[in-house]
Amino acid sequence: MTETDVLTAIDDALDTGTPTEADPVARELQELALMLRADSPEPADAYSEWLGKRVAQGFPKPFSAKPPWWRPLIQPAAAVGMVGVAVLLVAALAGGLSGSRSDDGGGASGGSVAESAGGGGGAESVAGSGGAAAVAEPGLPAKARSRGFAPGRADRRIERTFALELAMPVEQMQRIADQVTAVTNRHGGFVLSSSVSTGEDSAGGDFNLRIPVTEVRPALRDLAALADVRSQSQTGRDVTPAYVTARDRLQAARAERKSLLRRLETATTDTQAEAIRRRLDIVAGQINALRARLHGLRLRTDYAVVTVSLQAKDGDEGGAGGGSFDDAIHDAGDILVGIAGVLVRVLAVALPLGLIALLGWLAGRALQRRRRESALI
Amino acid sequence: MNEAVVETVALPAAEPSEGFAELYERTFPRVYAYVASLLRDRSAAEDVTAQAFERAYRKRRSYRAARGSMDAWVFGIARNAALDELRKRKRRAKLESDPEDERATAPEDQADMAIRRETVRAALASLSGQERDLIALKFAGGLSNGEIARVLRVSESNVGTRLHRTITKLREACHDGN
Repeated sequence: MTETDVLTAIDDALDTGTPTEADPVARELQELALMLRADSPEPADAYSEWLGKRVAQGFPKPFSAKPPWWRPLIQPAAAVGMVGVAVLLVAALAGGLSGSRSDDGGGASGGSVAESAGGGGGAESVAGSGGAAAVAEPGLPAKARSRGFAPGRADRRIERTFALELAMPVEQMQRIADQVTAVTNRHGGFVLSSSVSTGEDSAGGDFNLRIPVTEVRPALRDLAALADVRSQSQTGRDVTPAYVTARDRLQAARAERKSLLRRLETATTDTQAEAIRRRLDIVAGQINALRARLHGLRLRTDYAVVTVSLQAKDGDEGGAGGGSFDDAIHDAGDILVGIAGVLVRVLAVALPLGLIALLGWLAGRALQRRRRESALI
Repeated sequence: MNEAVVETVALPAAEPSEGFAELYERTFPRVYAYVASLLRDRSAAEDVTAQAFERAYRKRRSYRAARGSMDAWVFGIARNAALDELRKRKRRAKLESDPEDERATAPEDQADMAIRRETVRAALASLSGQERDLIALKFAGGLSNGEIARVLRVSESNVGTRLHRTITKLREACHDGN
């Protein structure tokens, strides 16, 4: 008999309750099946009655068995905590990576970055356009300074210039111009020159600012926050050689003056004294010139040159007021793009985490099943 | 009561929805017989059977008729509970021992029937745990091959093959016992 015949014969016997096959082997298997069924354990009457009553009552739980209200929250809280830790780890890793990029590239966002260093006077330039509000100041951190200009030398004298182009609706231009001045004053700087025009045909403005290098970074951040940054650029020029030369020459001139003064005290003839006085006049002139030069160099390196250009936004130039339908559509598109960007970032984190969680869940189920089945081995 | 994790069982063809009481009435004796056959301990079988039905009652909303019969669903829950109990109590040695049965010593049994029953029980003891599980699902639980396939998560043809092999092995063991 085939396997199917045997199984059919067994099912027939179980259905009818009697062996029906003429074949001795099949009949023996039928009898065996009937005996196995007949030998099945039966529940005790008292137990059947007790369980039947519990079923009828809907399995009431004893009062003491009621779990505390917070117990169901343990697993979700643990899961949320694990996901939170994972997100923090990812964020920390991402932050570390972007931080190192900022050190290397000066932090200009959304723009091109170019650096160059010369021999006699080092120079750097960083330019970007259409970027976000963040504008980095690469010269302030010692690390960046040592990388960009003179490795191993911390007392470099560097002239820094920054340029910002801010775009805004015409009607906001005067207010933002006032805020540019306020930001400059707040950070200890001053406005060297400025011009603002709010006319419909020639709306725009230019500011020439001087801001202490120690405050230039937060000042640029505040300036960039006033309006949309259309472009940004920054340059640096190492004037350390000129500064050191002027300082050394000043020291030499002062030493010469002291020497001349001593010689003047010991001069024995009028001719000698006159010659020394003439030389003293020349040296005094040199000292004054060198002092002025050093003072100018200090000013140029202690204060960054910041030029801010105010420009009317596209569509506002020519006098049309903001708030047109096209602007609304444009703004809506920008918002949607921003939201899409956020979603992509969230998905970039959530998808791998979800995949890991799914794999873990599947592995846990498989492991649990294997452990259960091991009871039968 | 023992704690057992209810695992969702993939179920076969649909069955009309019914009340839990009807499901209990129809499956209780068979579930108990299956669990008792697997555990070989009437006290533990009572605990596990009650626990399985309580779990099924509390999880009854998770049952989907489109995924198969309620009988197989309940047996899946009972099997998980029984296996957890087996694992927890390290009952492997006892699983392989002879089953206890009050009727085995019933005075009204005829002598040859009693001998045959003992022979079958001895032969059952020679089977592996998985083979005994299959025999219990088929003959004590009264499940069809398709329902057993759903409970064990294997194909129906695989169940048929394993069942044929196991019943043949049991028959040979009975002959060896004689």
